[in-house]
Amino acid sequence: MAIEVRALTKTFTTGRRRTRRTVEAVRGISFSVEPGERLAYIGPNGAGKSTSIKILTGILHPTSGDATVLGIVPWEQRKRLAARIGTLFGQRSLLWAELSSRQSYRMLAAIYGLSRDEERARVGELGELLDAADLMDQPVRTLSLGQRMRCELAAFLLHRPEVLFLDEPTIGLDLLAKQRFRELLVRINEEQGTTVFLTSHDVADIEHVAERAIVINHGTVIHDAPVAAMRRTLLATKLIEVGLDDHAPIEVPALPGVTVVERTDLALRLVVDTTTTSVRTVLDALLTGTTTTDISVVDPPLEQVIAEIYERPAS
Amino acid sequence: MTAAERRAVRVAFAIAARRTLADPGGLVVSGVFYLIVVSALSAVWRVAADANGGALVGYSAAALTWYIATSESVTISLNIRMIGDLGEDIGSGVVAVELLRPASVLWIRVASELGRAAARLVVIGPAGVGVAALTVGRPPSWPAVALAVPAMALALTANVIAQHAFAASAFWLRNATTAWFLYQKLVFVLGGMLIPLEVFPGWLEAVARALPFQAMAYAPARIAAGHAEPLLLVGQMAWIAGLALAARAVFRMGERRLQVVGG
Repeated sequence: MAIEVRALTKTFTTGRRRTRRTVEAVRGISFSVEPGERLAYIGPNGAGKSTSIKILTGILHPTSGDATVLGIVPWEQRKRLAARIGTLFGQRSLLWAELSSRQSYRMLAAIYGLSRDEERARVGELGELLDAADLMDQPVRTLSLGQRMRCELAAFLLHRPEVLFLDEPTIGLDLLAKQRFRELLVRINEEQGTTVFLTSHDVADIEHVAERAIVINHGTVIHDAPVAAMRRTLLATKLIEVGLDDHAPIEVPALPGVTVVERTDLALRLVVDTTTTSVRTVLDALLTGTTTTDISVVDPPLEQVIAEIYERPAS
Repeated sequence: MTAAERRAVRVAFAIAARRTLADPGGLVVSGVFYLIVVSALSAVWRVAADANGGALVGYSAAALTWYIATSESVTISLNIRMIGDLGEDIGSGVVAVELLRPASVLWIRVASELGRAAARLVVIGPAGVGVAALTVGRPPSWPAVALAVPAMALALTANVIAQHAFAASAFWLRNATTAWFLYQKLVFVLGGMLIPLEVFPGWLEAVARALPFQAMAYAPARIAAGHAEPLLLVGQMAWIAGLALAARAVFRMGERRLQVVGG
């Protein structure tokens, strides 16, 4: 296993004396991640995601429970683990602002024990991969966010980490930069078998990068399944989009569990609760009662799926 | 420390030094500030020595000028915001991210600050020699000047390590401003940066000699003022060892706290 977590708990104590209270940020979480898997570890703010990542990277001790990353107990052998993993916090830079990226890589290469030749070869390789070679000699503080992110990624990947921990990595990036970033993560995973452990509030990150999603809330795992299956298995609703002939009368089927979400002269959008009425029943009613030009049945957006999962009460 | 960590420390030192030397503006500002301070303070001490028959507590007017030129050079070469910066980095979580690297946060930071200070000293040191030579002529003793060079390097080292030990209070207090304020005053006065320790009343001199701050300014300054006393270097080295152990212990406790309560 790349990551193995068993009954992990982290409790924080806040305040002093009378106002002292205990907060359970992580409550008995268990899961495992196979080598080469791309996992999204998601949840609303305050769910315990960052706390979990900090424990798994060794910068936070758990209150109880066990965890290993690449067979290493993170909080017991932080430095040994650090040499084999990469951690990227979207709002924290891996580079030294006053140095150029190349100087930062020099520092990081020394820290990670890369020889000068290995460092030069790897920086050249990453410069090409990330299209960042031209940016590496500029002081980091003069780079735009998108440019800096490319240089950050090179720093993140410099030592060929076996597991990548990414906490909100695309925050603040423009659409194109986000897209490039996601493609790159998938490419690295596919070419090098690197395990990806991703936390993000951006549903597109989850959709385009992750194969599996673990959803946590109130410090516990509330869902663990392949991303592709999330929509199908989690929501008992389907969205039916109907194209209509211009000005033709619309017969909305009066069926239980069918709600009209949009209605114009040319289109009708219905949400069907499939626990009450099957999609087939609704389609039959539509085809007999309305002059349709087009019909499509789609899963609700992943965003909606995730929002519904978040709203589930903690067990 | 592993071989990779030692190399990382050397690289941190070299990069910081090169970066500082590549910023002539910053060096000029430090140099000008240094020249103003040394000119003013040494003039005050020369007046005091002249009023006292040409010497003060065993230092001639010329020796006092060399004393101030040295004590100021090893102090002004340092990053004045070192404690504040480190405190801020501890409070804001930057240090927590540094823990994600397989290297010592403390020694990489110490090496960077020392690289920066060493580069400044390379510029400020000759400026000090120039201003002292122009004002009072050649130094009281050439062997003492030769001994002052390693003493200055040791002074910078002791100071940087001690500042990190003080700044580590931010692991608990989340703010190192108080530590910075206190530390600065201790070096200025009890470290002998402004005043040779022999000027103090006996009890205060004894206190100052028993504290590490004298290794950071007084020791190299007294040597440059003509007292080629190798024991001062031995004392500096002992203080560096002690301060390094203290800084490492405080940092370990601080890191441990960060790992338990979060950053």
